[in-house]
Amino acid sequence: MGYAAARGGLQAIEAAEKLVARERILGQSSWLDTDQIIEKLRLAVDRVMSEGGLWDEQLAASALRQAEGDPIEAAHLLRSYRSTLPRIAYSTPIDADDMVVLRRIVPAFRNPPGPQLLGRTTDYTGRLLHTEDDDTQRTNAEKMAAYIQENVTNFPDNDDDKNHDRSSRSPRRLLELLRDLDSVVDRRRSDDPEPFDITRHPARPPASRSARLATMARAETGALVNVWYRNILGPDGYLHEITLGEVRHGRLPVRMLHPLTGDEITVSFVRVTEVEAIEDLNGIDEDRGRFDVGYGLCFGHNEKKAIAMANLDIACERDQGRSFLEQSILLTTDGLDASGFLEHLKLPHYVTFRSMMERKVAIRQHQEASKNLESK
Amino acid sequence: MNTPLLQEILGNASRTDTNLDGSSSFKAQTLNFGLLDEYSKREIRRAILTAVAVPGYQVPFGSREMPVARGWGSGGLQISLAIVGPDDVVKVIDQGDDEGVNAVNLRRLIVSSTGIPESTTPEDSTLIQTRHRIPEDPLDARHTLVLQVPVPEPLRGVERDMRELARMHAEADYARMWVSLYEDKVRNGVITRTTGYPCLVNSRYVIATTPIPRWDIPRLHQSEFLSLFGAGREKRIYAVPPHTDVEPLTFEDVPFEVEKTPGAKCRNCASNNTFLVEVLATDVRQSYWVCSDSDWCRRHRELSDSSSQGLMT
Repeated sequence: MGYAAARGGLQAIEAAEKLVARERILGQSSWLDTDQIIEKLRLAVDRVMSEGGLWDEQLAASALRQAEGDPIEAAHLLRSYRSTLPRIAYSTPIDADDMVVLRRIVPAFRNPPGPQLLGRTTDYTGRLLHTEDDDTQRTNAEKMAAYIQENVTNFPDNDDDKNHDRSSRSPRRLLELLRDLDSVVDRRRSDDPEPFDITRHPARPPASRSARLATMARAETGALVNVWYRNILGPDGYLHEITLGEVRHGRLPVRMLHPLTGDEITVSFVRVTEVEAIEDLNGIDEDRGRFDVGYGLCFGHNEKKAIAMANLDIACERDQGRSFLEQSILLTTDGLDASGFLEHLKLPHYVTFRSMMERKVAIRQHQEASKNLESK
Repeated sequence: MNTPLLQEILGNASRTDTNLDGSSSFKAQTLNFGLLDEYSKREIRRAILTAVAVPGYQVPFGSREMPVARGWGSGGLQISLAIVGPDDVVKVIDQGDDEGVNAVNLRRLIVSSTGIPESTTPEDSTLIQTRHRIPEDPLDARHTLVLQVPVPEPLRGVERDMRELARMHAEADYARMWVSLYEDKVRNGVITRTTGYPCLVNSRYVIATTPIPRWDIPRLHQSEFLSLFGAGREKRIYAVPPHTDVEPLTFEDVPFEVEKTPGAKCRNCASNNTFLVEVLATDVRQSYWVCSDSDWCRRHRELSDSSSQGLMT
C-alpha cells in the first residue's frame, strides 16, 4: 500500500523535535540544573506552579527548561502531567492565619498592627540594568557573597528568623482591626458550602465565589492583569481602584488526615501570595458607612496576580452579574485556553476555507444576477 | 549519555518504548493505558453516556489538560482515550487527511499510550477521530466517530451572555437563530453559513456541527454510527447517536445547499462526488482539485488504475 507516503508527516514532526532538542539540550552551554532554575529564576518557577495548578518546584523548573522558558507552555506541561495522576486524597482546609510571613506590607495604614516587613523584593530598587560584562558581574557577585558571609550576621533567614518573634511572623490582619471598628460589611457565611472544584467541573456564570477565586488563582498572570487594567482604564472602565489592606507572601502548611490513624498531619508546605483589598462602597444600594473587602491568593510569590485577583473579586461581588465581568474572568483568563486556541490557527483550515470560498462565489453570483435583473 | 538527558531528548511520546536504552528504569515511566487516570476516564465516559441519552445536549464535563494544546483536539482526544479499548483500531484525520501533522501527532499519542493498531482505512478501523471532516466511506455500527470541536455553542453568534444561552437551549428557544438565518437570506440572497452549519438534533437541541463542511452534514442524519463531539477548551461533550434525526436549519422554500463547484473533479481519482479542495498553482489557471479525504482518494485511484489495466479480478 502507498502507506510509506503517510509517514512523511511523522518524519517531519520527528525532525522538528530533534531540531528543538539539538539546540536546547545539546547546545554549547553547560547543562541547566533545575536547582539553578528554582533558586535563580524563582519568580518564573512560582508563576508556572500557580498557572499550572501544581505545587512542585522541581517539576516546574523542569517544565520551564523543557519549554525553553515559555511560562504558559511550562504550565501546560505541568497540567497535562496532572491529568495522568489519580487524585488519591484531599487536604483539609487551611486557615490562612497559619501563614508564616516572609513579606508583609499594609499600604492602608502607616502603623498597622504587626510589622511592615519588606522581605525579598525589588519594589524599592532602581531598575538599573547591569551592563557590565558577564565575568565582571560574576566577580561582583562573588565579592558580595563573601561580604555577606562575613559582615551580615542578622541576614534574614527565610525559615527561622530568630530576630522576630512569633507574632511578627504571623501578624494580626488589618481586616480584623477594621471589623473591631465595625467598618466592614460582614459577608461571612455560616453554611460553609464545599468549594467549587474547577478541575472537575467547568465554572460557568452564574458561578459561586469559590469558583471565581479558584479560576483566578490558576489564571495566566498577564490575562488577569489585563482584565483588571481594562476595567480600570479601558473600554470596560467601571472598576474601583482598591486600597490594599494586606499584601503577604509566606508559607502555609498543607495538612491531611492520616489514612490509618485519622489524625491530621502536615504533609507539605506551600508558599503563597495573599492580598486583602479594601473597597469603598459608593453604590446607591450599598452600605456607604462601611468598607467591603476583596480577596486574592495564589501559589508562589506573584503580587501582581494576587492584587488583580483581590480587586476583581470585590468588583465581581459588587457587579452582581450586571455586566460581563464574571464571564470574562471565568472564560478568558486561563492561559492554556487562550494561547492554545490562538495557536490552533496555525493548524490547516483548508476545508473550512474552501467552504467559505464556495459561499463567496454563491453570494457574488446572486449579486450579479440581481444586478442584471435590475438593469433589465 | 546519562539517563535524564536521554529522557529529555526522547520526550513523553517515547516513554512507552522499553528498549530504547536497554535500562529497566525506563519502564517505570510507562504511562497508564490511554494516558488519563482511570477516574478521569470514568468521568468522561459518564458525560458521554449523558450525551448519548440526550442527543444534541451539550454536557458539561471537567475537561482535563492534555498533552496537546487546547484548540488542537484536546476534547476529541479525551473522548478517544476514555472509550478506547485494546481491541480498537484507530484512524485519525485532519481536514480528511491521515497525513496532516496534527493528525499524525494525535494518532501517535493514542497509539503510543495504548499500543492499539492504527489504520487509515475506515473499513479496518473502529475508532475514528477527526477534525473538520467525516470520511467519504459509509460508516456503520462498528464505527465511533469522534469529532474535535473548537466552538460547541451554535448560538454564540446571536447571543453572548452564557446565562441567556443556557436559558435558550433549556426552553428550545431558537427564535433568534431563525431570525438571523432569515436576515442572512434577505440581505445576501443566499444563506452564507459555511462550515459548522447549525442543525436540529432529534427535534430538540440545536448543535454546532463542528466546522465540518455542509457536504458532510447529510451523513449525520439517521446514521448507522455514533458521533461524539468533544470540546476540550469549552468543556462540553455532545453526541448524535445512531438513527437520530439531524436536520440542518433552513426554510421550506430555501433548500439546504452543500458545497458545489460545477465541473470540478479530483485530479488524482477523477471523482466529482466527494468533498474537493483546491490546490493553487502559481498561475491560477493551472489550479486543480483533489479529494480532501486522502485515503478514499488513494484507494479509488488504485482501483481505477488497476481496472483500467484490466487487473481487477
